[in-house]
Amino acid sequence: MSALAAAQGRMLDALARPGADPAAAQALFAGGGRLGPAAGLAVYQRGYVLRLAACLGEQFPALRHALGGALFDDFAADYLRDCPPQRHTLHDLGRRFPAWLAANRPEREAPEPWADFMIDLAAFEYAVFTLFDAPGAEGGPLAAADTPDERLRLQPAFALGAYGFPVAAYHHAVRRGEAPAPPDAAPSHVALVRTDYVVRTVPLTATHHAFLARMQAGGSVQAALAEICARFQLDPAEARRSWRSPQGSRARWLDCGFFIAA
Amino acid sequence: MAAAEAALAALPRLGLGLGLRSVHFEAILAGAAAGLWFEAISENFMDSGGRPRAVIRAVAERHPLALHGVSLSIGGADPLDFGYLAALKRLADEVRPAWVSDHLCWTGVNGRNSHDLLPMPLTEESLAHVAARVRQAQDYLERPLILENPSSYVRFAESTLDEPAFLSALSEQTGCGLLLDVNNVYVTCFNAGADPLAYLDAFPCERVVQMHLAGHQDLGTHLVDTHDRPVRAEVWELFRIAWARTGGASTLLEWDDHIPDLDGCLAELRKAERYMAGGAAPPAAANAGAEDGDAEGISNPVGFIVAGAMDGQRWAAA
Repeated sequence: MSALAAAQGRMLDALARPGADPAAAQALFAGGGRLGPAAGLAVYQRGYVLRLAACLGEQFPALRHALGGALFDDFAADYLRDCPPQRHTLHDLGRRFPAWLAANRPEREAPEPWADFMIDLAAFEYAVFTLFDAPGAEGGPLAAADTPDERLRLQPAFALGAYGFPVAAYHHAVRRGEAPAPPDAAPSHVALVRTDYVVRTVPLTATHHAFLARMQAGGSVQAALAEICARFQLDPAEARRSWRSPQGSRARWLDCGFFIAA
Repeated sequence: MAAAEAALAALPRLGLGLGLRSVHFEAILAGAAAGLWFEAISENFMDSGGRPRAVIRAVAERHPLALHGVSLSIGGADPLDFGYLAALKRLADEVRPAWVSDHLCWTGVNGRNSHDLLPMPLTEESLAHVAARVRQAQDYLERPLILENPSSYVRFAESTLDEPAFLSALSEQTGCGLLLDVNNVYVTCFNAGADPLAYLDAFPCERVVQMHLAGHQDLGTHLVDTHDRPVRAEVWELFRIAWARTGGASTLLEWDDHIPDLDGCLAELRKAERYMAGGAAPPAAANAGAEDGDAEGISNPVGFIVAGAMDGQRWAAA
């Protein structure tokens, strides 16, 4: 290892784990300025956590609201210690946060519903954030009412979510400036779709979610209809009528911009 | 090297510009910033497939633009990230910036990223290391790099060169240009107990393509480069001197936290015109609005684009 790599490794360790190497500042830095080595290093140490926790808070605004700022920042500091940033983009910062929360829930012996809610909420918010900047369909046309079923494909800026809590409603209430109470457990299915650079959350039934999941896996409309009929014991003719009716799923989802034409 | 020198000499003088921040997107695209140039944080746009990429394309169609990176880690010990450079080059080819800049710093090592602009040990060994990497990056990007002096709070014990001497040698050896951040000069020198005027005297002003202005927090014992308030009188005085010595380098205001509306930023930026005209040293009252408070702010705040991202949402009826 070069002297440069050694010095940089030691400084970065000192930022990520303040106190773990109390000799680092004196060993690395010169004295003589207004700030001594330890006080100078402390500016970087404070900045490291504050900067990254602030970014994390912006990626998970409703989770921050639900936990409260102080507890969120405690979780953020622990997360950053265990999962330090790896990529050049801060967009990647929260990618591992939902899984980290699940792995570090405080009561693994006797699970509490509130922890499940926080984990679901984190997963939803990172999905929203990811979709905001994902490749999308803005450069071309969406499918139209006269696009044949055989040509319907989900557009690129589309995601599905299935949760144990109504996390989307909670997230949007926080974004509206409200102060919602944590909700009770209830199954929740949503689609996220972006058109004209605006991300929309569309509530779904479990049946709709299964239909769209089949399409997301590469299935055709026909295959998706067959799947939900088999799985939910639906009458195929009724399912097809529901799909094609003027206020049916097809029309509503075309309006929401779910589809492009293959 | 000769090509880099020629490319450097051909770079335009853009006048006054502003850091491109998401809170101003709508106003800028509505035409409220005629005559300005903008500097975009490269990392906020280079991986984007969504609105940020569309916005930077639209801004580039209307205004001169520079790309300013915070994660190249030109001083890092890890190998240069060619995936990063490829994404940067794709963005540069798309928006055709006047130039591409970053910092004399490292941001991470051993596969970890601090997302901070960390200071280099300034030695002959690190000069050779950085120079080799600047040449690699310039060859890959097919344009000169413009490197900025960072603000710093420590100086490595092993350093044998001062920052102006390091940057001077680096630019001579590689043909890179320099971005002189006069606020960083003031912050670094204050914290080091050094004389900012002596720093400017030693700085290779003939290599300066661009200057930065920004506000900082004065905590009495030290200064923090917070980019969250107006430019201080002491920094305006350095700017007055540096602007003359650089022959009128393109000048840009950075504001990254507690960002005023576009008119507020433009009002601060236009104060520069007084000093560009050789105006007298600013009065003591010029620090009004730059109050410090007790809690230390965040050094090198990032102009993270998430806030804007999360505003563009709707709850659609099913």
